[in-house]
Amino acid sequence: MKARSTRARVSFVVLTIAVLTAVFMVRLVDLQIVQAEALNAEADTKRTLTRVTHGTRGDIVDTRGAVLADSVERFDIVISPRVTLLRKDASVVVLEDLKKITEIIGGDPNQMLTMILENPESDFEYLAKSITLEQYQAVDDLDISWLYYELNPERTYPNGEIAGNLVGFIGTDGPQAGVELTADECLAGTDVEASYARGEDGVALPGSAVETLSPDDGGTIALSIDRDLQFYVQQRMAQTAESLGATWATGVVMRVSDAHLLAVSDWPTVDPNNVNLADRGALGSRAFSTPYEPGSTVKALTAASLIDAGVANQRTQVVSPYALELANGGGIISDSFYHEDQRLTLAGALVESSNTAIAQYTDLLDAASRHDYLAKFGLGQATGIGFNGESSGTLYDAADWDARTNYAVQFGQGLSTTSIQMASAYQALGNGGVRLPPVLVESCTRPDGTVTDIPSTEGTRVISEAAAEQTLQMMEMVYSSSGSAPNLAIPGYRVAVKSGTAQVAENGSYGGNVVISYAGLAPADDPEYIVIATAGIPDSIYSGAIASTFRDIMAQTLTTYRVTPSSTSGPDLPLRW
Amino acid sequence: MSTNLAYAQPQPLRRPSERPAHIEIVTTRAQRKARPRMLYAVVTVASFFVILAAQLLLSIVVTQGAYQIDSLQYEQKVLMRTEQSLLESLSLQSSSQNLAAQAAGLGMVPNATPYSLDITDGSVFRLPGSADPTGCGGSCGLVGNTLLSGIPLVSAESAAAAATAAKSPVAATPGGAAATAGTAAPEPSNNAIPAPVTR
Repeated sequence: MKARSTRARVSFVVLTIAVLTAVFMVRLVDLQIVQAEALNAEADTKRTLTRVTHGTRGDIVDTRGAVLADSVERFDIVISPRVTLLRKDASVVVLEDLKKITEIIGGDPNQMLTMILENPESDFEYLAKSITLEQYQAVDDLDISWLYYELNPERTYPNGEIAGNLVGFIGTDGPQAGVELTADECLAGTDVEASYARGEDGVALPGSAVETLSPDDGGTIALSIDRDLQFYVQQRMAQTAESLGATWATGVVMRVSDAHLLAVSDWPTVDPNNVNLADRGALGSRAFSTPYEPGSTVKALTAASLIDAGVANQRTQVVSPYALELANGGGIISDSFYHEDQRLTLAGALVESSNTAIAQYTDLLDAASRHDYLAKFGLGQATGIGFNGESSGTLYDAADWDARTNYAVQFGQGLSTTSIQMASAYQALGNGGVRLPPVLVESCTRPDGTVTDIPSTEGTRVISEAAAEQTLQMMEMVYSSSGSAPNLAIPGYRVAVKSGTAQVAENGSYGGNVVISYAGLAPADDPEYIVIATAGIPDSIYSGAIASTFRDIMAQTLTTYRVTPSSTSGPDLPLRW
Repeated sequence: MSTNLAYAQPQPLRRPSERPAHIEIVTTRAQRKARPRMLYAVVTVASFFVILAAQLLLSIVVTQGAYQIDSLQYEQKVLMRTEQSLLESLSLQSSSQNLAAQAAGLGMVPNATPYSLDITDGSVFRLPGSADPTGCGGSCGLVGNTLLSGIPLVSAESAAAAATAAKSPVAATPGGAAATAGTAAPEPSNNAIPAPVTR
């Protein structure tokens, strides 16, 4: 009897344990395998925190490192009106807090209170946006419990309108214009998310980081632009445009040795800090985007082509009448002011800027060759800078030139170029006939120090060195002997220059509006810098009105870069015979 | 028939359990020597606890480190923000418009006849200089900057005050000497260039 009872008890216990074990096993399998995924996910949301770290957008700097575009941290103050109004005597207490806040960040506390009271159920409202670090710290020091802060990276442009046309700006949907847009790949930073388990006080539990990545900051874009020179050029062009009553004006300074653009000014222009203040048409860079018929500045390229082809030299003679009936039935072309027949050399034709003389020289070379020269000077082609909205200008094929255009292209009508293209063409004249690709962006430097986006330095020969030298000598005669010579003089320096007055085609015919420009290089004996000053639709229709602007910008450039004065005197070529 | 053989009484088998023989196996000296000592057990258990304690301490240190990392990271963030905010202010202050306006406000004008020295051969040459048809040294507001609206112009008086404050410890002696000589300290001229203090 005793032994039986013992056995029964033992069996009972064993059975109970077996059943319990089975139950626990089922539950264990349920938790660990069947529901495991859902439970883990739920647990993660409760104990882990995901933090987004912003990669900082890179700066845009000028050639000397001055910051043109900068990423800054701003903070938004976020509130939950529902939670805010939970407090006792909310409207009184909150208003007092709001008064303290607005003392720091400005604004109307009553208006803010109204906003809170109008959205009593809301859990998310902005109390203030884009406050600075100092304001954020001061507000944070008030220890107001119902305020939350969100980081809000922004972009500032400490130099305002200086190079605003080139740098571009950022809108709510990202980069909108200029280098900000075209170099976005380099500038943009990458945001990363890191999630980790947190303790009650929000501190990361050791070793719990699921993934820790450091955010990729964007690279720094260095422009070839020199901020201080750009500032001067923008001022001088703005002053010129206002005094001439022009609709637009551009000023370009380029270094001859490497075709780097040192200043590219547009008037009117944009302050990227406040894009709304600018005209819609001034948000980009007209110097890149809007081609115009350049006029007589092209005559220097024509002369260079003829000399290089061996069909003319500095002393080749023509008789230039005021008006010339074109032999091919292209009608009559005339010079800009009346004169008796002049017996001009090629140099004299440039000094007098005679259309009738250039038209006669044009017949010395076939159209296809002349077209090829203009194309090699870069006209009708993109510069390779790839600026946002950049235009290639227009240079029709020689076969498409009509009888009149055949001549007109050689003095800069019937084709269109941008200011940058003209600077690039003149760069070939200054660089011994070899045209280098123009440069605006010098490099992209990543945070780890690697440098990319180095521009190509491969040049193409346009004309021979001798032809380039002879062309510069003839352009020096313009500097020393043309009617505008007194306004061009930079004592101590030899300068090679050419003026341009081009009629503007409106509704298919040329009207009274013109584009006036001066383009030149200095020092002419060893060219270092190119300056092109252009004004569109000025009150004056004579290019001489902009000669002093060209001189001032060239003088400022020579001073800025401490260019040694010319040690030799300029040439004395015969202009007439 | 008789027999003289005694009947051998069968002896009942004794159950060994009833009266066990007291036999003791005595370990040999060698065996006694080979027996594990108490010491080893103690060492093992003790080291177990030492390891446990060490692990606990390590864990505490690591946790402490987590708080330290957190506070240092926060400090780093605050410092980086401050640095960035100061750099922002610096780039704004050093913008060309601000420098031009401040310089013009202090009465400075661009040099119309700058000279340059060529250090390779010692020759001095005259540069064309900065032509300024506007006559305001770049402060005419022709090139705008909306960020500068809140930055006040430095006045000549405040600049002079700042310069005096900066050199007051050095300037005290000559000032005293002038006073003992019985003459009033000369009024600083408006266009005087504050001389650097050299020793």
